[in-house]
Amino acid sequence: MGNCFSEVAAGRAAIGGTAGDFRNPAGAPNDAVENFLRSRGHHGLFSQIELSFSASGLRDRDVLFKSNPMMVLYTRGKNGALQELRRTEVVPNSSSPTWITKHTLIYHFEVVQVLVFRVYDVDTQFHNVDVKMLELEEQQFLGEATCVLSQIITQPNQSLTIDLHTEDSIISTSTLAKNSGKLSVHAEECVSSKTSVEMAFRCSDLEYKDLFSRNDPFLLISKVAEGGAQIPICKTEVIRNDLNPIWKSVFVNIQQVGSKDSPLIIECYNFNSNGKHDLMGKVEKSLAELENIHNNGQGENLFLPSAGGQSHNNKVLKSQLFVDKFTESVQYTFLDYLVGGFELNFMVAVDFTASNGNPRLPDSLHYIDPSGRPNAYQKAIVEVGEVLQFYDSDKRFPTWGFGARPIDGPVSHCFNLNGSSHYCEVEGIQGIMMAYTSALHNVSLAGPTLFGPVISTAALIASQSVANGQRKYFVLLIITDGVVTDLQETKEAIVKASDLPLSILIVGVGGADFKEMEVLDADKGERLESSYGRVASRDIVQFVPFREVQSGEFSVVQALLAELPSQFLTYVRSRNIQPSL
Amino acid sequence: MSRAVEMTILSAENLQMNRRPVRGNTFVTVQSDASSETSATRVDSEGGSYPSWNEKVVMDVPLHARFITVEVRCKTSSSGSNSVGVARIPVSDFIGGYVPENQLHFLSYRLWDGKVRRNGVINISVRVKVVEHSCNANSSMPVTGVPVAANGSTGVVRGVPALWLNYQTNI
Repeated sequence: MGNCFSEVAAGRAAIGGTAGDFRNPAGAPNDAVENFLRSRGHHGLFSQIELSFSASGLRDRDVLFKSNPMMVLYTRGKNGALQELRRTEVVPNSSSPTWITKHTLIYHFEVVQVLVFRVYDVDTQFHNVDVKMLELEEQQFLGEATCVLSQIITQPNQSLTIDLHTEDSIISTSTLAKNSGKLSVHAEECVSSKTSVEMAFRCSDLEYKDLFSRNDPFLLISKVAEGGAQIPICKTEVIRNDLNPIWKSVFVNIQQVGSKDSPLIIECYNFNSNGKHDLMGKVEKSLAELENIHNNGQGENLFLPSAGGQSHNNKVLKSQLFVDKFTESVQYTFLDYLVGGFELNFMVAVDFTASNGNPRLPDSLHYIDPSGRPNAYQKAIVEVGEVLQFYDSDKRFPTWGFGARPIDGPVSHCFNLNGSSHYCEVEGIQGIMMAYTSALHNVSLAGPTLFGPVISTAALIASQSVANGQRKYFVLLIITDGVVTDLQETKEAIVKASDLPLSILIVGVGGADFKEMEVLDADKGERLESSYGRVASRDIVQFVPFREVQSGEFSVVQALLAELPSQFLTYVRSRNIQPSL
Repeated sequence: MSRAVEMTILSAENLQMNRRPVRGNTFVTVQSDASSETSATRVDSEGGSYPSWNEKVVMDVPLHARFITVEVRCKTSSSGSNSVGVARIPVSDFIGGYVPENQLHFLSYRLWDGKVRRNGVINISVRVKVVEHSCNANSSMPVTGVPVAANGSTGVVRGVPALWLNYQTNI
């Protein structure tokens, strides 16, 4: 019986674009798309970007004629192989073409998406050939440019201009190579995904469907797909025993609907716990028409479709639908915040406890291979760092070590990796690597493994940034080979930091059993709690064990980064922080 | 002397009574340990054991207050109400430290029932309204003391108003 009740209760609840869903931290425009992408191995933030292209100063064909440029867009995979994504049209006789062909691709925060652009001069004899059929070897190569997608989208105007260059094998004289022109790429996030409409409905004079039992009405809003099929978008909660029900607001994403002029079907049903709800009436209106209904304040009569299906036989009811609230709001995306002046600041803390083994011996996790093969620590720093560096304008990264004795000192659980006693920052990923290798020579490994001091230091930097009114979000990467000794102190530090613009990524290297670390990652268990009962207000910790063998293109570190955008969005949205656009 | 604290009681999670999920009709009372003034939210009847109130409570918290006590109560069928769970919020969680006081804090706390058993979590947000030092026109002496919690404190505000006499004359 208890079960039965809860099912009914669940069935009565509003589903789909409701308030809770609207606040969905991932900001996913469409769950189905998200799930599809997830099943294909694309995790995390889903954001469509439209790229448009133009060039200037392209080489002329000869003195009389300018070239007829076409651009081919490639993506470069991890193994260096190029995959063709798109060919533009051929712009005849132009040295500064603006191509009409756009390319839409999906932006992944956690992946370095390398784009390669090649410009060719297409000879007039090929102009009647479909661009996809063109043999690129037969065309004159004008130049090539490379960039990373995150470089484009973090530009203030989301446009990046890069020099085209030609390989020596094709153009031998260096003077010509200098003269290859420039390519501009503009990125734009597909806008419709951001706008959502909040509507509050009510009905008047609903007609009895069932004289002998109560009428519990709710609304179901569907869109009409090509071919006429109805696809439900959202529904309201069930109002018990009321023929003049007033429902809570529902939220509809314009991208879900298609556009403001796409027809929507709003059906009013009498809730039945056996799942066979009776139709009490319906209307067919687009969002634009619903907005009109709201502005006029006039109700719209519901109708019941005739059995024959002909629309002129519909039975118009005296029941009316009103729209009490109609507001469009723009939900800012992760990219909006990046463009609007937010930065992600990268910080690193490296475990120097003795359990890593003597760095001079090859079986140590800290062993620096003379052949240049990176150890697990170096790999983790580079993989996370190379993604995050594009979001940090000054590229100065605070870098610490913990669990070791610096020269002539006692064991420190947070020392500057660069050896300085005053400042903790180093320049660039290269700077982190240099500070790391030099620290290996200058400290003696000790223990125990304490995270508390490092997290507190990072939290201090984050809180000072808030105090100064800076628009920064901090990402602390902790790389460790063992289980923390100060679990409770670490929890306290994390709970305190959950109110700050900070996320913590913990990467476990080596073969230790990291089961205990999983409790820090709230995904897998309960919310973190401090000793006196304060609970982390949001999840800020991600933990993964870093395996030497990584499967395919998608490394564990990328999976780790994938949650960052949503952690960032939970922070800014809950505080109603707006990007300065 | 006191400061105005704007507390928004957002929601609670997984509330239980006698090891069963609470059916609903819950509300929250707020009180500081140094004042008898109590504020209460409206009753949530829809959320069941996951109620949400989203209600703002502005209260005057005396400078020497150390805790704000938040209690979730459940209306009974008669006019009374039963306690579901209590959380004591150290004032130092949103005053002191490096973050400016007028910053919005999002905080969550474990609730404890009458038998000191863990019972659900309450989510709140807090903003301290900036203190106006010369709020009392008759008093020419500014009150200087502000409780300060050192970083990593155990959650107890260590500071008391520096001029205790001054504080008392201002009451």
